[in-house]
Amino acid sequence: RISSDGKPAKFQPPPKPVIIDKQKQREERRFLSPEFIPPRGRTDPLKFYIERKDMIQRRKVINIPEFYVGHVLAVTTADPYANDKANRFVGICIQRGGKGLGATFVLRNVIEDQGVEICYELYSPRIQAIEVLKLEKRLDDNLMYLRDALPEYSTFDMNMKPASRLDHEEIPVNKLQVRMKPKPWSKRWERPKYNIKGIKFELPEKKMKEAQKWSQPWLEFDMLREYDTSKIEDKIWKEVSEELKK
Amino acid sequence: MMPIWTKSGKKHAVTLLKVQDCHVLRYVSKEESGGKTSKLLVGGKNVSPFYKSESAMEIFKEAGVPRKQKVTTFNVTDDAIIKPGTPLYAAHFRPGQFVDVTAKTIGKGFQGVMKRWGFKGQPASHGQTKTHRRPGAISTNKAAKVYRGKKMPGKMGNVYRTSFGLKVWRINTKHDIIYVNGSVPGHTNCLVKVKDSKLPTYKDYNKNPPFPTFFADGDEKLPEDLYDEEIFQFTDPSVTYA
Repeated sequence: RISSDGKPAKFQPPPKPVIIDKQKQREERRFLSPEFIPPRGRTDPLKFYIERKDMIQRRKVINIPEFYVGHVLAVTTADPYANDKANRFVGICIQRGGKGLGATFVLRNVIEDQGVEICYELYSPRIQAIEVLKLEKRLDDNLMYLRDALPEYSTFDMNMKPASRLDHEEIPVNKLQVRMKPKPWSKRWERPKYNIKGIKFELPEKKMKEAQKWSQPWLEFDMLREYDTSKIEDKIWKEVSEELKK
Repeated sequence: MMPIWTKSGKKHAVTLLKVQDCHVLRYVSKEESGGKTSKLLVGGKNVSPFYKSESAMEIFKEAGVPRKQKVTTFNVTDDAIIKPGTPLYAAHFRPGQFVDVTAKTIGKGFQGVMKRWGFKGQPASHGQTKTHRRPGAISTNKAAKVYRGKKMPGKMGNVYRTSFGLKVWRINTKHDIIYVNGSVPGHTNCLVKVKDSKLPTYKDYNKNPPFPTFFADGDEKLPEDLYDEEIFQFTDPSVTYA
């Protein structure tokens, strides 16, 4: 072939193929349970290290799955007063609290028109198994407003079948807007301090504007409240994953 | 503070105490001190030697030990005397023993009578003029004086107080940590004095303690964690009721 200049064309090698390793991309998603992250304070880090050792020991015996607020879980605990000495409760996780060994989560369900909430300790030795039945995140971190929502949003069948686990993919976010019972509620959920996005507020515009009076827009710029956990999380994630693999 | 579970599934709250560089500093005999028993001076945490006079540093030089933040005395019988300069470890205590813990309480500053002594105060409304948290009457008419020790406002906290009869649940020999039942006076990371319990109910509970103390260079090799019999260890499977 003759190029425009008259010189022989320089050999251009073909572009190198870019190999997208899908398995590696999937493994990049890591989840560290929030109770491993130490709270901000003047406690000696040795105390958190020792607590983490105990937590990892417990996790080797029982599989505590990855779950967020909004998942539907089934928990079997040992109960001395039950017939089979075991008690199974199914419910939606509305809150995860506590740090370290005392971490808790609250499950809510409506059984025979009676709302029931049970607070379980993640590391209690009486828990025999925790299964995730439905995988979905909600718009908020704290679903306490389900107490004032219509009971249909908190009812879950006790004999629900576990959903298929989508390994290493994004957990779907359910953008459900919940309808509430008429006021009065247990807390004024329309106020900006709760920052709830998952309620369909059917209140008049005037009430919503009045609720904005209690907003504190300076809070997000307050530098003393900043607590950057990314580096701490990375360190703890490495430690925990290494120990669990053994 | 941490939760701890027993084999029956009950939860107890536990305080972690770390034994940080404790050394025996000096032996004071019965006649020298003038008390009923001989005393041993023990020092706590290591601190810098540059901020104290030479005379204060003499005790530490004699024992051959870096300067300690706190020095306390323990009344000891003659057969439990230890040579000055020996380090003391957490393995001195064993799980199942009962212990008294002394420390300086958190200082609250000058406090009123309601917070300091738990007085009820006065109602918030119904005609009360400028009187809601005041002590009210301080003495009777016949007494014609105020008795000594009358509970009044003043500086609260920053005083040595002891919690008695605390059970030792677990001991970590690698990091020298004692897990003690319940709460302990003082703020986080404060210095604390741990003694064998003086309560008469727990006199027989200290069976075969390491006497006079646990020596690290001795023959005894302890496992990293020592647990009480009733504790649920996390290596065991979950608790079930038969």
